[in-house]
Amino acid sequence: MVTQRVDHKWGMVVDLDRCTGCQACVVACQSENNLPINTKDLFLQRRAYEWIRIERYWEGEFPDVKARFIPIMCQHCENAPCEPVCPVFATYHNDEGLNVQVYNRCVGTRYCANNCPYQVRFFNYWEPVWPERLRNHLNPDVTVRSRGIMEKCSFCIQRIRRAEVTVERRERSNLDYATMKKRNFLPACVSACPTNALNFADQADASGPVKEYFDDVNEHPHNEAHDRKTRGYRLLEEMGTKPNVIYLKKVDPFPLRKGVGHGS
Amino acid sequence: MRPSAKMLTLGLVGLTVTVVVGFLIAVLLISWFSNPPFGLGNAPPQPIAFPHTVHAGSTADGGMGIQCEFCHRNVTRGDAATVPAVEQCLFCHKTIGGTEDTAKTEIAKVRQSFEENDPINWERVHRLPDHVRFIHEAHIRFFTDPDQPTRTGINGESIGQPLTVAETCSVCHGDVAKMTEVQPKQGQSLKMGTCLDCHRNNNVATDCTVCHK
Amino acid sequence: MKLTRRNFLAWAGLSAVGAVACEGFGIREGEFSLQSPVSLPEDLVRGKDNWYATLCRTCPSSEGIVVRVMEGRAKKIQGNPLYPINQGKQSARCEAGLQAMYHPERLAGPMRRSGGRGSGQFEPLDWTAALDIFKAELQQNGDNMLMVTEPLRGHMAKLVDRFTRAMGGQHLAFDAMDNIAYQAAVKNVFQQDSLPDFDLANTNFLLSFGADFLATWVSPTRWNLGYGEFRQGEGRKRGTFYQVDPRFSTTAASADQWVPVQPGWEGYLALSLAYVIISEGLQADGVDVGALTDGRGVGALDAFRPEIAGSRIGLPDRLRGETPAEFIVGLAREFATKGPSLAIGGGSAGAHTNGLFNLEAIYALNYLVGSVGAKGGIRFNPAPPIDDLPASADVASLADWFSAAEGLNGGRTKLVVVHQADPVHGLPGSLQFRDALNRDDLFIVSLSPFIDDTSALADLILPDRVALEDWGSDIPEPGPGYQILGVQQPVVNPLSDLDPRSSADVLLSMAGELGKQSELPWDRFEDMLKETSKELFELNRGSIKAGSADEFWNTMLQQGGWWDEKATSSARTNPPAGLFNTIAAKASEPRFPGLTPSRDTFHLVPFSHISLLDGQNAHLPWLQAVPDPLTTIAWQTWLEINDEDAARLGVREGDVVVVSSTARTSIRVPVYPTPAVPPKVVSIPLGQGRRDGPDAATGRRASESSNVMDILEPSQVEGTGAFAWANTTVTLTPTGTSIKVSKFEGIVRAVEIGNTEAERIIITVTPEEL
Repeated sequence: MVTQRVDHKWGMVVDLDRCTGCQACVVACQSENNLPINTKDLFLQRRAYEWIRIERYWEGEFPDVKARFIPIMCQHCENAPCEPVCPVFATYHNDEGLNVQVYNRCVGTRYCANNCPYQVRFFNYWEPVWPERLRNHLNPDVTVRSRGIMEKCSFCIQRIRRAEVTVERRERSNLDYATMKKRNFLPACVSACPTNALNFADQADASGPVKEYFDDVNEHPHNEAHDRKTRGYRLLEEMGTKPNVIYLKKVDPFPLRKGVGHGS
Repeated sequence: MRPSAKMLTLGLVGLTVTVVVGFLIAVLLISWFSNPPFGLGNAPPQPIAFPHTVHAGSTADGGMGIQCEFCHRNVTRGDAATVPAVEQCLFCHKTIGGTEDTAKTEIAKVRQSFEENDPINWERVHRLPDHVRFIHEAHIRFFTDPDQPTRTGINGESIGQPLTVAETCSVCHGDVAKMTEVQPKQGQSLKMGTCLDCHRNNNVATDCTVCHK
Repeated sequence: MKLTRRNFLAWAGLSAVGAVACEGFGIREGEFSLQSPVSLPEDLVRGKDNWYATLCRTCPSSEGIVVRVMEGRAKKIQGNPLYPINQGKQSARCEAGLQAMYHPERLAGPMRRSGGRGSGQFEPLDWTAALDIFKAELQQNGDNMLMVTEPLRGHMAKLVDRFTRAMGGQHLAFDAMDNIAYQAAVKNVFQQDSLPDFDLANTNFLLSFGADFLATWVSPTRWNLGYGEFRQGEGRKRGTFYQVDPRFSTTAASADQWVPVQPGWEGYLALSLAYVIISEGLQADGVDVGALTDGRGVGALDAFRPEIAGSRIGLPDRLRGETPAEFIVGLAREFATKGPSLAIGGGSAGAHTNGLFNLEAIYALNYLVGSVGAKGGIRFNPAPPIDDLPASADVASLADWFSAAEGLNGGRTKLVVVHQADPVHGLPGSLQFRDALNRDDLFIVSLSPFIDDTSALADLILPDRVALEDWGSDIPEPGPGYQILGVQQPVVNPLSDLDPRSSADVLLSMAGELGKQSELPWDRFEDMLKETSKELFELNRGSIKAGSADEFWNTMLQQGGWWDEKATSSARTNPPAGLFNTIAAKASEPRFPGLTPSRDTFHLVPFSHISLLDGQNAHLPWLQAVPDPLTTIAWQTWLEINDEDAARLGVREGDVVVVSSTARTSIRVPVYPTPAVPPKVVSIPLGQGRRDGPDAATGRRASESSNVMDILEPSQVEGTGAFAWANTTVTLTPTGTSIKVSKFEGIVRAVEIGNTEAERIIITVTPEEL
């Protein structure tokens, strides 16, 4: 009989204390998801994009100066601001907690990008071009998006689907974190990250690295954030978008601005 | 009565509109039905005239009765059914050279291809656009699974017994064993609606990301 | 027709319908771009993928990778989860091996120069003819041959060594930012021939001097792996990390505290820390200070008291609100008491005239805190499992390059063979290596699969296979603390329109044809690897259990190598007697041989680009497009300068300045002011400014893509002959022109402005609040 679908709810946890801004995730994502090459012209037009990007924030002045890195990808919000504004339902929330972009439905109104507070939706202003020979390394599991289409991080949906089909339905066994990791079903950025700053698993998987944080952050919403037992927080939390990505606070023994931005 | 200038203009406008709309409708209809994966297009010419009738046709009809998955090895294992490697053709054609002239020439091409290590560039008959993922294995597993209490065919007909692999193939591809040249139009019209109907009838997932990537 | 609103809408609607209708005439071919594009090699089946283990060659650390291969095409590169060095992880550079393979400007086959030298005009010829020319040259001038390669380890090192020895020529391995001073320091302080591994995962206090180890230094992926555990590993306390560095590098940004010092004074700081530790008796239990200082105790380091050193090394006046002397004392106490502690050094700290002293002083600190050979400290590597396989790349020093240039200029060198190295781009400009090669009585053979500055000067190009198509091996340096041999196998064949040939095989066939079988008895490189595989099989230990040599070989290819976790180093951890006296006696200030430092000069601290490194990856579009983590600049060179210095010069972001030293040429670079550069220091990345080669490397103006190597003073690290690349002083002259900086960040400098926690993007906590 048809194996009943396991109702997964995927989640990512980003440990800012581990991230070194090394850009391994960025290139891994570009390669896995057939992102067009960011040429110099695209940078100058401010139309270069990366599904996962490293943002850098300065703090302080010399000599007491800090730079902090944060990887930002689609937050897969539960209350996604991008979803209700799409006139053609090209973006919607599926039952696995993923914010899905359906390329063949998208007509390119860009409403979703304008409504996204995280700026993680990208519009193909140009037809993506690869020199002929470079097309050989395109990933056959991911659509090449044409001009006029919105795109964004999918949590490597192609790998998740492959995991579900292979492990749950074909082999009829349990798709836990260890299996995801061992058999290379984790998103490309997670599997690349050399410091293990990026973690990905089912939010309910007790064997996985994310459950603890999602439980804590869900239990103590934004207004009770100081009761949280972990370092977890959501990006721009006060907007109530409820992302399925949780960040873990950076630990800094020598903060520059004492009394600001430190819990209580 | 001479038509007034106003009537003339109206008539002309009406005519233009009719022609334009008619043209557009024609365009839409042609485009809808002429897409190869959608069922009405003609198969592209193949480098070798491979007759499925001879290979897959039942022995009663003079065929060899080879099972689909013997050649399309990956069909019960993964996404793509896969076209066999020439080595595999040589399993038999090393010794079988054909009796009729046409068969002899075509089989000679296969042998030549093997000897020169030059692949045969089969043309794809059923093409899927990039944004669609289709997993053959999952569909065969579903229709052949004896544990499955009910299954519904592609046209909504109820199927009691589990199907064989070959029967499952013909659910979408038509009875390939009877096709000298595989023609998409002899199989099902494979529109997205067809996929969705079948998924709904069989109570399987219809989330966009199940098929779209 | 009058254009009314209604008309307009009608026409707009009609044209939209028309457009849709025309689109509808079929599925556009654009929607089929992923399906097998080319003729299928026969052994490959549509729609199935396989992962093969091999080694990555886009950085010198040569990590283990697995490559997804589908329909004869490599699709994706990931870290090899079994490979002990990187354990399934990868750097930003690894992935781009794909682009090297499918690069549109890869050389298709052998070529011979048809225009003037350096004109870039080549004509194709077939392999037989090309190899005949090569053979004739070797026969005639083999004993006057200079062979230039990338840093080599493992079988390729053995092959090239034997080849040059058999021919009678000389072999120089090129590395723009070499580790010679670091290797010498390791030898002097620890008596080790190969570089040590660091047990970062168990370190509690990490003190790093100048090493950009999280981005580019030595084995960054391995250090990143350890660093992640060091920060938030399970079941351990969070480690503390100080980075002493004249440049605010990516690594410094990850540190808890960045300690800016004057370039070249790292050793003084290290000895000052040693002074505090010894004088306060903070050394680890069992550390014999008497032996370390020849019985002189703290007196041996009297010249490095914090009060003296603090003012000399250029610590900012009020770093974290403390005076320099207070800061040093505080740091020394933390370092000594928060163990396991680890001090590492490299990069710019070792690239001064006194670089060797700096590094020795830094590494000697580890003896005081007892972290040599201990958990959370320095882990030595054993000798390689097979005797005659070089485990440590023997890289040519600047002194070697000077004599090589002399040999070229004097006409003594008649034949130059270059393999995957670009010394014309990567050697300091004042060495004038381009001119040295630009001679008519010289024959240059390039084995590079791409045009670069050096191969553009070649007479004959015999394109090598790229890493994913070729055999190879590596003994990683540093190893993981036990014996290991990584194996590189061809995972795909070259595309049919390319006809490269493995350089290793070319060298072997040349040796064979010239009767040098006694030195090189192998027909193919693969045979050489198989022979080692057999030797390893006979050792009968380690990661592979196999019943036969063939099974062993196949398993080794499957796993990406062989290693034996039990075969660790047995090196003693006793320090040389009077180590600190020796080092203190060596102490010298950094000397700046170029422009005399003055009010108008700046220290130039060049650095290795995070993805392009020294420029070896400049032809790969993905790596050009990787934004530098700190400036977010891609595709361009930039000059990092302090906000205040920039204001004083009257330059803003994108303004082009002329950067000059005493070198013959100067370069033009756009400035990028940041708050995190010490006053009077500027930094420029290596990597850009290639003159010849694929578009990605060259297609930009000189003011946005210039080569900092052109202006570096060719001075040497005393005692090693290594290139002291960090001791150039420069002047900056605004040109009045400016360019648009191609960067990823927005127009406004991204600063955390949130006043409340909720407004902040990156929220921080102190350890006490946890």
